[in-house]
Amino acid sequence: MAELYVKPGNKERGWNDPPQFSYGLQTQAGGPKRTPLTRRVAAPQDGSPRVPTSETSPGLPPVRPPLPSSKAPRSPPVRICPASGAESTSFPVIRSEALMEDVLRPLERALEDCRGHTKKQVCDDINRRLALLQEQWAGGKLSMPVKKRMALLVQELSSHQWDAADDIHRSLMVDHVTEVSQWMVGVKRLIAEKRSLFSEEEANEMNSAATAENQTIPGFHQTP
Amino acid sequence: MATYLEFIQQNEERDGVRFSWNVWPSSRLEATRMVVPLACLLTPLKERLDLPPVQYEPVLCSRPTCKAVLNPLCQVDYRAKLWACNFCFQRNQFPPAYTGISEVHQPAELMPQFSTIEYVVQRGAQTPLIFLYVVDTCLEEDDLQALKESLQMSLSLLPPDALVGLITFGRMVQVHELSCEGISKSYVFRGTKDLTAKQIQDMLGLTKPAMPMQQARPAQPQEHPFVSGRFLQPVHKIDMNLTDLLGELQRDPWPVTQGKRPLRSTGVALSIAVGLLEGTFPNTGARIMLFTGGPPTQGPGMVVGDELKIPIRSWHDIEKDNARFMKKATKHYEMLANRTAVNGHCIDIYACALDQTGLLEMKCCPNLTGGHMVMGDSFNTSLFKQTFQRIFSKDFNGNFRMAFGATLEVKTSRELKIAGAIGPCVSLNVKGPCVSENELGVGGTSQWKICGLDPTSTLGIYFEVVNQHNTPIPQGGRGAIQFVTQYQHSSTQRRIRVTTIARNWADAQSQLRHIEAAFDQEAAAVLMARLGVFRAESEEGPDVLRWLDRQLIRLCQKFGQYNKEDPASFRLSDSFSLYPQFMFHLRRSPFLQVFNNSPDESSYYRHHFARQDLTQSLIMIQPILYSYSFHGPPEPVLLDSSSILADRILLMDTFFQIVIYLGETIAQWRKAGYQDMPEYENFKHLLQAPLDDAQEILQARFPMPRYINTEHGGSQARFLLSKVNPSQTHNNLYAWGQETGAPILTDDVSLQVFMDHLKKLAVSSAS
Repeated sequence: MAELYVKPGNKERGWNDPPQFSYGLQTQAGGPKRTPLTRRVAAPQDGSPRVPTSETSPGLPPVRPPLPSSKAPRSPPVRICPASGAESTSFPVIRSEALMEDVLRPLERALEDCRGHTKKQVCDDINRRLALLQEQWAGGKLSMPVKKRMALLVQELSSHQWDAADDIHRSLMVDHVTEVSQWMVGVKRLIAEKRSLFSEEEANEMNSAATAENQTIPGFHQTP
Repeated sequence: MATYLEFIQQNEERDGVRFSWNVWPSSRLEATRMVVPLACLLTPLKERLDLPPVQYEPVLCSRPTCKAVLNPLCQVDYRAKLWACNFCFQRNQFPPAYTGISEVHQPAELMPQFSTIEYVVQRGAQTPLIFLYVVDTCLEEDDLQALKESLQMSLSLLPPDALVGLITFGRMVQVHELSCEGISKSYVFRGTKDLTAKQIQDMLGLTKPAMPMQQARPAQPQEHPFVSGRFLQPVHKIDMNLTDLLGELQRDPWPVTQGKRPLRSTGVALSIAVGLLEGTFPNTGARIMLFTGGPPTQGPGMVVGDELKIPIRSWHDIEKDNARFMKKATKHYEMLANRTAVNGHCIDIYACALDQTGLLEMKCCPNLTGGHMVMGDSFNTSLFKQTFQRIFSKDFNGNFRMAFGATLEVKTSRELKIAGAIGPCVSLNVKGPCVSENELGVGGTSQWKICGLDPTSTLGIYFEVVNQHNTPIPQGGRGAIQFVTQYQHSSTQRRIRVTTIARNWADAQSQLRHIEAAFDQEAAAVLMARLGVFRAESEEGPDVLRWLDRQLIRLCQKFGQYNKEDPASFRLSDSFSLYPQFMFHLRRSPFLQVFNNSPDESSYYRHHFARQDLTQSLIMIQPILYSYSFHGPPEPVLLDSSSILADRILLMDTFFQIVIYLGETIAQWRKAGYQDMPEYENFKHLLQAPLDDAQEILQARFPMPRYINTEHGGSQARFLLSKVNPSQTHNNLYAWGQETGAPILTDDVSLQVFMDHLKKLAVSSAS
């Protein structure tokens, strides 16, 4: 779902800055963890080091090439590991360019739904931020990953997957805060408002359903 | 029976405890002769995926001075519905809810596998978590922008119902009113004048007439909506306005002339933050998060003046008693830290600057309250950004990995007394029969307060065996200790975690081998190191080293096997074999050596050392070194210059730094580009393997370490060279037959020399 990538740290500003992991990599449950590298060797009791053997004897010029793969002795040095997604960006769902209209329309519709339920001032504030989103998108200020993930977010929102939508919003805030911070908070609020509106409607529906005898509710949607 | 190693591991996983001794010497005299005190590392909230909390309150012993919690070690009379306390032997009636109890129908807390159990207790109203941001605006534009973005981002990571507040400071201190409508307002304070809590509350209009002063009770939220609402608001209500407010933050507008430092009122800003929470939400979980980009330069708590030509104090200045502001500033922050601890809140410091920021003076704020201390070069680094994100990380159940306002109470059976604790805590000064007069760490109490903690926060707890030599403990007798941790879970529930453990007593004269075999050298090393670092805060460095050396020599005299005056005959059994090398590396570590570190760095390293769990602490004492080659999977190697070989890649983890080092040949191969040729794909894999492993460490570590990628001859190779045992130096190179390893240019003694001296002293009858 989320983007999985590692980008280098800010070497300009931070001395030996560590690489930066995307939200997806930081939050993923980890999968099969490798054995942690926490073993240590005991020094012999006289404290003297064992004499380890070096493969390249020191007298030879060190430019001798490494053994090619085909002649590599025994097992390869890498342990079997889950894809650590180094520097690669994966977008499993949408490959084509997301369209601004496809993202903005559903958000605006959702906002319309909330009017009446949510305070006017809050709706206006959300609206202002959606306008900002539109402006930045139209002005070509948004990067491809942001556009694509916004399209995904809208999909989740439309199918009432509140937690999933919220998680995408979080991943965008963490991974692309510079681009999205000004307007994303409006989208975040919209998700929350739509969610509370929906559960309210659902509760009403439930009540009316309870009065009608054993009526099944078509399209009943369980929110977690 | 399983080996002691398995026993130790099981106990750590189940109960979060590691004891220095797992069989206890049965008399005071014998215990003192063991040199390493009876002590444990306790991780009170250790993550337990298999431990769902029970939804009822613990049953307590009815003796008012005991109040131990019913546990699997208690004797139960199922017919009479009675239980006998295993600490004070009081016989107690079970409460009415337990009438159905029988041998086959037991409550969880009586089952042996629940030696650690967690209770959810609901008392009083629940208040949401509180996060108060205290933000320095005397930053460079680039830094301020990055910090603003991180703060905006954090609003998405906070629990939606958490209360959040904002204080900014530079020359002045501004407390921002947060409201959903209209214009934003703020209260402005001068940064030069300290105010009492009462004055701050009056000026902010927090004192409502006839506000009931209920102490030690969770604040009732309904009392506060008016008084605190203006400054602390739920995230889900004000996230949009706060995002804008943060976005509009400007650098401190006061001009800074050439040759001056900006005037930074950190002391007053922190004082106002503490006062604000003190007046509104005492005894409820709250974090004050201080973000600062330089030293406090005015008002109470100033660490250095604003003249740039006068540098901030160094270790040299401190030794020469030439640090003008240090004592006064330290006093100011200690006063704030103590007040914060009384209120049950914690203070984090995120200090990002190239020069020192005054962590030495401010360290008590996080150290006494269980807050975080993070040190970086700039807010615009991945080191800061990701460390900050990880504050808000969640566990497998989706709960934040943070807890608040904990009290830890320790109860012991009567042969033991409590000598003290070392960790992110303050004493609650609760005297009692089980409190020893001899203090180790923070003592004189059986209870401590830990205002902020997470699943890895670990305390060292020290005990004293008080049983007299001539009062024997019955054969097969066991001593018991109970740890009761009451805390506020991140879900705002009040919870109580109870761990009850027991260990066998043994007569040290007839059963010394048993005691010896049950020695946990890793725990002992960390516990002794904590004592050493605790001493180092108040004593001269050389004194601490001498003390550590003396303890090590005595331990070797007691447990080594040797013929008098014959160093060559000296041997230590397996359970002690690593201990001397831990002490060797500890002596060289930045926790005890201040050379090459600023006072701030020393404070930073010691802060983390006093709170991490055993595994991480041990990495700090003796870094881990793995070697990668074509000859198989990576293997751990000696932290020794002989491990630096031309055809190996090394990965070193010191906790604060991850170093990848390419041996000479490997570096040349890489330079020649073999990794890009298809027929040398194995070389490409070899280069990649340590990178992958380093990433795994980086993803789990808090705080983010620095990441150093270097090679033979690289200037940054010094990180590796300064940590390995210098078994080959320029002095003895030829004696070693020059073919392996890398000589280190140092006059430091090597482990070999250290061991030779140790043996000589241990077997000598004179010492």
